[in-house]
Amino acid sequence: MAHHFVTSADIPADGERLVNSKVETAKRAAGGLAVLLGLLSFYLLFMAPAKISAPFAYSWLFAFFFFFTLAVGGCFWTLLHNVSNSGWGTSVRRVMENLGSVFPWMTLFALPLACPNVQQWLYEWMNVHREAMKNGGDIFDGFLAGFYGTESMKKALEADHQALLVNKQWYMNQVAWYARFAFYFIGLGLVIRALRKFSVAQDSDPNPSTKNLFKARFHSTYTLVIFAITITFAGIDLLQGMKFDWFSTMWGVYLFAGSALNSMAVIIITCTLLIHGGYMKKVVGPEHFHIMGKLLFAFTVFWGYITFSQFFLIWYANVAEETSWYLIRNTGGWNIASIALVIGHFAIPFVILLQAWLKKNPKLLSVMAGYTLVMHVLDHYIIVIPERSVSLYAMAMSKVPGAESFAGVTTAVPGAFWGDILAFAAIGSGFLFFYLRALTQTAVYPHRDPRILESANVSN
Amino acid sequence: MSTTRKRVYGYLAEFSSASALFKAAEKVRDAGFSKWDCHSPYPVHGLDGAMGMKRSILPWFVFCGGTLGLITGFSLAYFTQVEIYPTVVQSKPANFFTIPAFFPIMFELTILFSGFTTLFGLLGLMKLPRLNHPLFASRQFHRATDDAFFIAIEARDPKFSPEGTRRLLEDIGGKSIELVEEED
Repeated sequence: MAHHFVTSADIPADGERLVNSKVETAKRAAGGLAVLLGLLSFYLLFMAPAKISAPFAYSWLFAFFFFFTLAVGGCFWTLLHNVSNSGWGTSVRRVMENLGSVFPWMTLFALPLACPNVQQWLYEWMNVHREAMKNGGDIFDGFLAGFYGTESMKKALEADHQALLVNKQWYMNQVAWYARFAFYFIGLGLVIRALRKFSVAQDSDPNPSTKNLFKARFHSTYTLVIFAITITFAGIDLLQGMKFDWFSTMWGVYLFAGSALNSMAVIIITCTLLIHGGYMKKVVGPEHFHIMGKLLFAFTVFWGYITFSQFFLIWYANVAEETSWYLIRNTGGWNIASIALVIGHFAIPFVILLQAWLKKNPKLLSVMAGYTLVMHVLDHYIIVIPERSVSLYAMAMSKVPGAESFAGVTTAVPGAFWGDILAFAAIGSGFLFFYLRALTQTAVYPHRDPRILESANVSN
Repeated sequence: MSTTRKRVYGYLAEFSSASALFKAAEKVRDAGFSKWDCHSPYPVHGLDGAMGMKRSILPWFVFCGGTLGLITGFSLAYFTQVEIYPTVVQSKPANFFTIPAFFPIMFELTILFSGFTTLFGLLGLMKLPRLNHPLFASRQFHRATDDAFFIAIEARDPKFSPEGTRRLLEDIGGKSIELVEEED
């Protein structure tokens, strides 16, 4: 235990900045790759024949939501750190803020999902609504300009015998969908930017005080509500919306569990790499990794608990409307993937992360964090991709041109896997670019925060 | 006239503050003592490190207890509902793949057995419950729950010597040093 007690003399007055040619190269490469693959994806989403663009829409949704959870998780950890007034994590807080600051940029990758061209493949209910518009259904009308649906749309849907969509119109209508979609990115995006600004302003404040810290703490309180709304309803609108007749009351918390777990994994890997590169060595040590490892462990358990509860209630009750989700995922090849998730996403990391010594070792913990991220890819793959074939069948019924050729024929779309990899690489490289950009913009830890010494000397 | 011979428990020394206790503990640790303890009215952060204490083996007991609970829960549900008396509920199959239905009991017994091993393992390792402790013979020791910090070095420690240990405690700032003898 006899480690060196960190004092203010150990902390550089101007902070440590990430100046590294390798990071610069990686950033540029990631940015270039993102532009290149982004353009290719744009072509595939909007200009390619339906045979390609339809499966690729699912690839895009899968890749987008995977990285969305990481960015939104960065916001969560920043907010939680501020609002819980914690001292231990001040030295890693900037990493959390940087991860969160990628969130506003995720809007770029979300924009295709707001285009009817892409939506027609993903969201069947929108197709039904748009069909109903041709039969006299208005979207802007009445109270709050159609935010709660309109009477004429109700009539048109009733004429189409869409009783379920009539009942759900108060939530599932295009006005409300776009309003929520805008809210997700603007709301949390503005706050995370402001929080990061408070934190960075502290670095160069000639009279460093607790002012910025308290401001950040105050604004984090109500923002946690915005965060909860964002992850819950973004999950419902973007993922659960693929199957409008299905619902799970644990959907939001399920996505949140994966989000918090894997953004912590990213934070752990980032800290390990920064220390490996010679940064933040004075202020981050085994104790911090121990705490972050405990959080990783805690959210592994939480994810397992929530995921199982969701499955268990649906499986046991055996109600037709609810089981449809698991019916696809627990049959055939998808069942193997689902069982792999139970063992790989919960059982294995649970047993491994029990050990305290492992959590104190940055390298081993990073390996576990990387493993968790791989499992998170599988998790989100199973959420989105099985929908690709089944709901296209319904779309072929709704006479979308081009869908007939492959829908209803097979449950797996041949060759669509390459689209998944492409979309993942496109959004992944963009994510990496904005993340590295944020990391190099400011000091790697808030060196003038009043609690930096408390954090550097933390023991647990 | 009869003389009673009392068994010596060890030395008890008082320290003025938590930080004095912390620094003294580091020195006692470095002097190589193994059978000794610190007493403080409240938990002192990092004192276990200053005392050179090794990690407890309790987690391993708990791990085994938890695993045993998991296996017990599974066996209890599996053998009664699948092997001995196959029970079909909600048209779920009576075979191994009904395992999600057994998870709640497996989970609960894991927690219960872990909880029991934690409690009883802890009591066992601390040799509790006991009716008395030799240190209670000291008149000043009750202040350990109020405003005083103590280090007690036991006589059964191989490094213990009546003079040497006393001198050590004086050197590291111990006050009111007392040789505690066990009561009859």
